[in-house]
Amino acid sequence: MNISLSINTKTYERDVEPRLLLSDFLRHELGLTGTHVGCEQGVCGACTVLFDGEPVRSCLMFAVQANGHELTTVEGLAESQADLHPIQQAFWEAHGLQCGFCTPGFLMTLVPFVAAHPNPTEAEIREAISGNLCRCTGYQHIVQAVQIAAQKVHGGA
Amino acid sequence: MLKSQSVYRIDAPGKVTGETMYAGDITPDNLLHGKVVFSNQPHARMIAMDTSAAEAVPGVVAILTAKDVPMNGYGLSGPDQPVLVGLGSSNPHADISRWEGDHVAIVIAETETAAAQARSLIQIEWEQLPIIGSMEEALKDAVIIQPWHGSNVLKKYQIRKGDMAAGWDEADIILESTYHLPYQEHAFLQPEAGIGYIDDKGRVTVEVGGQWAHEDREQVAHSLALPEEQVRIIYPAIGGAFGGKEDMSLQIVLGLAAMRLHERGINRPVRIIWTREESIFGHHKRHQATVYTKWGATKEGKITAVSATVHMDSGAYAYTSPKVLGNFHLMVTGPYEIPNAHIDSYAITTNNVPGGAFRGFGGPQGAFAAETQMNKLAEALGISPVDIRLKNVLREGSLLTVQTPPPPGISMAEVVERCAQEAGWNSEQYSGNGGQSPISNFRSPFNSIQSLPGNPQTLRKGRGIACSFKNVGFSFGAPENCEAIIEIHGTAEIERVVLRHAAADVGQGTHTALKQMAAAAVGVDMNLVELDMSDTATSRNSGSVSASRMTFMAGNAIRGAAEAALTAWASEDRPAIGHYKYIPPGTEPYDAETGVCMPNFSYGYVAEAVELTVDIETGHIYVEKVVCANDVGKAINPMLIEGQIEGAVVQAHGYALMENLVVKDGRILNPYLSQYLIPGIKDVPEIVQSVIMEVPDPIGPWGARGMAEMPFLPLAPAIVAAVHDATGVWFDEIPLTPSRVVAKLREKD
Repeated sequence: MNISLSINTKTYERDVEPRLLLSDFLRHELGLTGTHVGCEQGVCGACTVLFDGEPVRSCLMFAVQANGHELTTVEGLAESQADLHPIQQAFWEAHGLQCGFCTPGFLMTLVPFVAAHPNPTEAEIREAISGNLCRCTGYQHIVQAVQIAAQKVHGGA
Repeated sequence: MLKSQSVYRIDAPGKVTGETMYAGDITPDNLLHGKVVFSNQPHARMIAMDTSAAEAVPGVVAILTAKDVPMNGYGLSGPDQPVLVGLGSSNPHADISRWEGDHVAIVIAETETAAAQARSLIQIEWEQLPIIGSMEEALKDAVIIQPWHGSNVLKKYQIRKGDMAAGWDEADIILESTYHLPYQEHAFLQPEAGIGYIDDKGRVTVEVGGQWAHEDREQVAHSLALPEEQVRIIYPAIGGAFGGKEDMSLQIVLGLAAMRLHERGINRPVRIIWTREESIFGHHKRHQATVYTKWGATKEGKITAVSATVHMDSGAYAYTSPKVLGNFHLMVTGPYEIPNAHIDSYAITTNNVPGGAFRGFGGPQGAFAAETQMNKLAEALGISPVDIRLKNVLREGSLLTVQTPPPPGISMAEVVERCAQEAGWNSEQYSGNGGQSPISNFRSPFNSIQSLPGNPQTLRKGRGIACSFKNVGFSFGAPENCEAIIEIHGTAEIERVVLRHAAADVGQGTHTALKQMAAAAVGVDMNLVELDMSDTATSRNSGSVSASRMTFMAGNAIRGAAEAALTAWASEDRPAIGHYKYIPPGTEPYDAETGVCMPNFSYGYVAEAVELTVDIETGHIYVEKVVCANDVGKAINPMLIEGQIEGAVVQAHGYALMENLVVKDGRILNPYLSQYLIPGIKDVPEIVQSVIMEVPDPIGPWGARGMAEMPFLPLAPAIVAAVHDATGVWFDEIPLTPSRVVAKLREKD
């Protein structure tokens, strides 16, 4: 099937198998390997991308379902490592990552959350990332990263 | 001098932008795709295999089987496991699958889809053999799983110290228990993946996530019958390991694929990416175990004698089981001076998934038994669990059960006192309500998201404490060493420093810490230090990133290499190159009869206090706070250490409360993250308070000790003690899933 979609503001047109997963399309067809696959079942959240601005599990969607839609992957958050998105910067400063395999999924889950929450409570942060698994950090430094990110995004620091 | 500094981790910018390449992300031109064919047979003899239909699938390039493996046996404790189970190989035992995760073939194709289709068309005829699915059954030796070994007891250690009869005589109380410890799956977020090819110097090259590049190289070289120089291992970014990437997963089969394709004139890289299901089937687990133990104490709380029998399920192949059993054997008596001890520990071969390395390496199982015994004695004697520990902990000059003292720098008493103080224990006894009365003022800052029921009548609060020690390094006579190369470049001034080192950064941040140590050792700013890491072509053997050893070992190696490089620099060498191999003080294996030995060269010490609430109606346990006091000797990077403590506590929280791998008749029944549950943020302790202590290790680099496993050890027994405090019931088996808790509480009523 022919599909046309926007990813990180760039338009892609491809002929894909109807059963190709969106995660495999991103990783293997387009080389956007920042989207990671950890469980293939929608449990871990590592493959989260933005679909018309909303976080979705790319391992639970087909590429054809993205036809005509706008996607953002982790590669779309920053122009370069020298110009990080405030959420990326906060994860770095607050030690919100270790092995980093889950990190793109956390970041993509949090981009709309932080935009909508200038001053999130800890309970709200925990709710926001309750669908993402991390095996390294114990989550506490991720919560701190989100608090710092909200300040950065909304001009508090 | 090295200053403690929470330097931001150096690999974060690549990880937050998605630019960092993990092994499964590497996509060279001309890539071929591989699939491992698993036996799915816990115990069966191969009669015939037919790959013709699979070979006919369009796009299939090669199917490799046992006869393609030059030396068809490998393993960290000896070559006991076939690379590929099947017929016609050099290994006479390779026709039998002893584990459902044994590999029988590698399918290589133009696409993953073609490889998967071909895999499903391979026809194998098996003769079923009796499946030995329990240690009890295995100990009968009616069916010998490893005929070359001659018994299902893979390894036995014993300890004989003092006079047991006298020890029991002196005791005012004798307390006997049997503990069951479960499997644990590592569940690193990145399933195994790798790529194999022939590099520009003709070397068989494998890029993969592992924990010891030079050991991987040795295993690949052995299996392929190549000199080690003809094999190269490179670690790209590694998505977690925790011991689960210490043994071989894809290393050998990817090397085999690259070599055999090359021989057929096909010079194309091969990539294999395991699914989560393949990952859970395909690698070892924390050992399940049973501990039968008896402790005697005086009414003042002084331990007089301990006996224990440890049964540890090592599964179908040895992996690192002999070493894990060694730690278990030492730690089953806890960080205490025990005057009389009689310990028998067995690693037992079954047709279950192999047990192997996992954060703590036998320590958590031993600690669970020892600490729960200690907490039960405290309760029975009416002594605070803090005081009873202080009466018995190892101190300078104390003798271990192996009748030698631990090395100087023993901080167990200080660590327990500090933990108790930070947690507000002082010297009072248990303060929970002992399950007698409901609490009316339950408050949780996150209770809206934890779905606590509205009925405070069913909530009970409790708290518990436990402490542990853990050796740094494998030791027990293991040939421990670590090499580093430092190059100093410049003319008059030092312009840059290069550290070449093999240490794997599995997420813990070791590359950041090594860079800090290299800068301190040479005496330059960190910005001048460049790293060349984790490639056997450019670095020397670092030993494994495991056993909480790398900061300790690499730090000492870096100091030696820096000193050599600075000496060369002073002699006007340009660049000035220093190489150093650090060898820690020698250790000894257990004496076969008495266990007497000098087991280890360094230890880390840790204590944890837990506050929690049990819902006695639903069996749910909500952990509110964990205080972890961990003596790290010297905090090179305090923020990285906090990350290790918080991560270890949450992983141990999963072990204690949630993680329930179901294994029946040699088969894992829940090989998915949707069925094997690991902690999400709503499951974890609300607060983990890290108390980083710095009692220097006299032989540690700048005083540093290992620390990454230690915070795992005391948590499960501290939780069990707190649940007892809350409910009046002791749980001798984990995980404390709601159904298990409810069932046991109803038994009491």
